[in-house]
Amino acid sequence: MFLKKSVTLTFVLVTILSLALSACGGTAKQPVTLRIGWAGSPDTLNPGTAVLAEAWSIFELVYDSMYDLQLDGSYTLDLADSVTTSADGLVWTYKIHDGIKFHDGTPLTAEDVAFSYNFYKDNVDFPYMNPYTSYFDTVEATGNNEVVITLTEPIPNIDYQLVFLYVLPKHIWEGVNPTEFENVEMIGSGPFKMVEYKQNEFVHLAANKDYFRTPPVIDEAIFQTFENQDALVQAIKTGQVDLITEMPNTAVATLRNEPNIAVVTGAPFAPEVTDIILNQCSQESCPVDAGGVCSGHPALQDRNVRLALAHATDKQKIIDVVLLGLGTPGLTLIPDGLGMWYNNALQDYEYNIPQANQILDSAGYKDANGDGIRDMPDGSRPLTFRLNWPSDSINAPRTAELLSETWGQIGVSLQMQAVDPDALTAQCCPAFDFDIMIWGWGSDPDPNLLLGVMTTDQIPTGSSETGYSNPQYDALYNQQATELDKDQRKALVWQMQQIVHDDVVYIIPFYPQATQAYRTDRFTGWITDKPKVALEDVTSLVVVKPVK
Amino acid sequence: MKRYQYLLKKVAWSFFTILFVLVLNFLLFRVLPGDPARAGVRDPRLKKEAIEAIRVRFGLDKPVINCFETLNPIKVGSCTVNPLDTQFFIYVRNLLQGEMGISFHSNRPVADILTERLWNTILLIGAGQILAILLGVVFGILAAWKARTAIDYTALLSSLLAWSLPTFWLGIILLFWGSSHGLPIGGKATPGTSTLPLLQQWGDVVRHMFLPTLTYTIVYMGEYMLIMRSSLLDVLAEDYILTAKAKGLNTFQILKDHALKNAMLPLVTVIAINLGFTVAGALQIEAVFSWPGLGGAIYEAVVRRDFPVLQGAFLLIAVSVIIANLIADLTYSYLDPRVQSE
Repeated sequence: MFLKKSVTLTFVLVTILSLALSACGGTAKQPVTLRIGWAGSPDTLNPGTAVLAEAWSIFELVYDSMYDLQLDGSYTLDLADSVTTSADGLVWTYKIHDGIKFHDGTPLTAEDVAFSYNFYKDNVDFPYMNPYTSYFDTVEATGNNEVVITLTEPIPNIDYQLVFLYVLPKHIWEGVNPTEFENVEMIGSGPFKMVEYKQNEFVHLAANKDYFRTPPVIDEAIFQTFENQDALVQAIKTGQVDLITEMPNTAVATLRNEPNIAVVTGAPFAPEVTDIILNQCSQESCPVDAGGVCSGHPALQDRNVRLALAHATDKQKIIDVVLLGLGTPGLTLIPDGLGMWYNNALQDYEYNIPQANQILDSAGYKDANGDGIRDMPDGSRPLTFRLNWPSDSINAPRTAELLSETWGQIGVSLQMQAVDPDALTAQCCPAFDFDIMIWGWGSDPDPNLLLGVMTTDQIPTGSSETGYSNPQYDALYNQQATELDKDQRKALVWQMQQIVHDDVVYIIPFYPQATQAYRTDRFTGWITDKPKVALEDVTSLVVVKPVK
Repeated sequence: MKRYQYLLKKVAWSFFTILFVLVLNFLLFRVLPGDPARAGVRDPRLKKEAIEAIRVRFGLDKPVINCFETLNPIKVGSCTVNPLDTQFFIYVRNLLQGEMGISFHSNRPVADILTERLWNTILLIGAGQILAILLGVVFGILAAWKARTAIDYTALLSSLLAWSLPTFWLGIILLFWGSSHGLPIGGKATPGTSTLPLLQQWGDVVRHMFLPTLTYTIVYMGEYMLIMRSSLLDVLAEDYILTAKAKGLNTFQILKDHALKNAMLPLVTVIAINLGFTVAGALQIEAVFSWPGLGGAIYEAVVRRDFPVLQGAFLLIAVSVIIANLIADLTYSYLDPRVQSE
């Protein structure tokens, strides 16, 4: 009986397979489709509740906002033709371009802009969108297609506050449940419109040929999810996709040798920092009310120890071994991908073991009991630090090994352990129940966010990871937050980086680079000559055209 | 009469097991460290009010159960709160109403997510299981029938090899091989094919299924073949087989009418257990071929502390394992009537 069944099944399978093969040959004229392979998928298409970067990549293509962020870090007006500011910097009037249409044909007006901004402002539980509206007092649409934003205080970076506030069609979003609305039709006004979305499978977009600025040359763009990085690399090798937005560093060398594939590297669209967090929170500054435990090793509160650790950190070797060379040595939390805000005049601490040893010697950290590990000047405890990192980090374990190697040479020993990211957050801040951690940040285009992480105000909130507190730095932070002149603000921001670098608040081993690859035999015109690399960004996707 | 009692006992046990799983499921995830309202968003811009609003939206502001505010860290709370206003009873009440909640991560109904993923999993693992069972049984019979010949040794050796291959490794090898032969290596269907005629859509899905199904079949076929072979060899050594031979029956008749039914018992056990876990998906295969199945959904939900999805998925798995076992028990009583009397 088994034999009979299996024969029937074989027959069925053969039939299905032949159908499958016949499905390959289509005769209709195919639209020009760009296929992009990536490792993620948007968490939701609702801009209010979205968290993942992949969602933002799609929003950038389907929606418009007041400004566009260029790949050199500058902003250009997008929806508006012009902007005027009142003398006190509080009232901003934007003249919206006439004749813009949403994908469903309804016109986009100042009404929609004001509705969207107020919508984001009214929903406090929108994790990212709501904070961008914190400085808004009122937003109103006037006749004449103008939007008037009145701020609660003058700010230097309204372009940054508005750049991610996507304009939604009022007629669709009015009256929906703000958090449960799935937004599958995703009516926007951007250069691409939504065709079909399957979570964790693909996002299928079509060109909006009526786009009011440059419409895309291609007809369709498809983002396909590959959960596995090897599959992603294999997919571009075999031509199943035309572009991959990420790849393991180990694949870079192989792909560089492939014919018809070009690999590009550079600062990522959202610049990244990998940091070594040194817990400097003392018992006196411990935020006990916020749950502070403050069990950090007292030696880390001494600048000499932090300085010695910095001198004993071989950043270039870490980059070569861990990133296979695909990173740049770090200075402070402000990464090089931030363009003008990055202080490139800072002189980094040289990798110099004798000098590091000498610093510790003269600060009184001697090896009292001869076990090879230095002790506190009062002999109370050895310089043995706990070193933790999130268990989902690929780069941290090898970074930790290299650190223990070179730090061992200056008489510092490490107890190394990977910890579940959530548990690590609980240990981190504001509990300060750790000594040293390897972690990282994704940066905003504006330096304000990461500079704020090192202010005294953030110690009880859980944003400060180091417990660093410096009144001079805090004062400069407040000053730059209201400095309307760009050059003067830049000077302040540079000065702040100098201070935290001098104080060795963090040790920054590297800024990781983005690596992307595209097939040279499919599409041409990719924007690759900018400081930041983001081929899936709208800047490239509207200009690329098929190779003849 | 006995048969009904046996049946009733088994069904009752299954019911209690499901109830137990229901409770365990709820507690298990609340013991995990980490705040679901913050998982994935470690950002200084996230305001206190925002976190609070998210907690209220997902009902996380309510005590877990009477006397306990939270379970990790254990925080003792009031024991006199209205039990119906605790997370546990809200969970039970919603389940009784067939409501599995909203995913913390994607804000979509859990039932929608699980249904979508479940079908993908059943499609992939179902096809893989059927092929693995058929091939395993056929090769197992062949090997036992031709015991200690070249055929037997070849089948034995290749089954052992297939069974001991790491799934993800075999998957990656097949992925490299398949992609250079034009087979798709990611996802369930080519994006943009949903407007094509149904037949072409199915063809596309079958092409996408080819490599993952092949991987699954190879790995499980070995196991089934080995069990089938050894169990059949045992049966063939029994006296009644000798009697059958003496009666002059040919080998095919002996296998078909006398040996197979008895030899199937151990295999049914393994198949039942495997089928139950089918619903959990084959995480490794799903990860290698980006197959949007349940395994991947569960993994993601663990990372993001997406309690509603986890609870729903684990309940689904528990129920299917229990049902599969129930079916196995019932099949036993059919294959081997002695089982009921125990």
